[in-house]
Amino acid sequence: MKTLGKILVILVVFAVAMGITYFAVNASGSSSTDLPQFENRERPFPANGQFEPGERPEFSGGEFEGRERREGDGGGLMFGLIKNVGIIAILVTILVVPKNLIKRKRLQTSTSTSV
Amino acid sequence: MTETITKTKNQTKTKLVIDIAIFIAFLIAMDPHTSGIAIHEWLSTAAFAAIIVHLLLSWDWIVQTSRRIVGKMNSQSRINYILNWAMFFDVVVLMLSGFLISEQVIPSLGISLPQNFAWRSLHDLSANLFLLLLGLHTALHWGWIVDVFKRYIFQPLGRLFSSRKRKDVTA
Repeated sequence: MKTLGKILVILVVFAVAMGITYFAVNASGSSSTDLPQFENRERPFPANGQFEPGERPEFSGGEFEGRERREGDGGGLMFGLIKNVGIIAILVTILVVPKNLIKRKRLQTSTSTSV
Repeated sequence: MTETITKTKNQTKTKLVIDIAIFIAFLIAMDPHTSGIAIHEWLSTAAFAAIIVHLLLSWDWIVQTSRRIVGKMNSQSRINYILNWAMFFDVVVLMLSGFLISEQVIPSLGISLPQNFAWRSLHDLSANLFLLLLGLHTALHWGWIVDVFKRYIFQPLGRLFSSRKRKDVTA
């Protein structure tokens, strides 16, 4: 099969799977596009994000840890990378080390029986 | 015969480069809070193309295993096959939910989609599941990874250093 045909097959399978997922999620009713109730009734904050003097709730203190605070933070990026690599490394270790041990044991028993 | 071996070697090298690229892209894209939402979205969209190349390079294995899956088969290959399909569907959910909550890629195409909270949580869930599946996928292919790294990265580097040492000695 030519490469273009293979790409087409992959894309068609992707599209079909995406379509099924989309309709399944929508049919389950969990993907309501309605905004939360306070958006339609009483907004706890002005629509334009601007507050009148004295209207804005006081910031109680502490450090803000939202996206704006963390974006471009080199230490954070390193932490995220290390965390994800760590998870993968743990999984690899859990699966590969026992497998290799079993393999070695089998090899040892087979050589001892043959001797 | 020699041509086939060279072709396989080249394919393995390409696969190695593509896999390393996907792995690094995934690690960067996995943390949108720090890399930024634009990098997260554009890198993930590019990774989609890399995944298609990865599938193309594994095409023969996919076809052969799909034919053999009903009959007799090595249990590891069977697990690998099922895991790969799980990964494929997870990527489908990850990409779809990502496009539906996109803040950069889809708006840049002039399309505006309604905000949807379910897709956001589905995106987070599928991303975490993908990390888990990627770990399992890496573990199942660990032998291949070690072998290919030895053959195409460590051995050529070792040869390079040893030839340099020899040159220094002769000089």
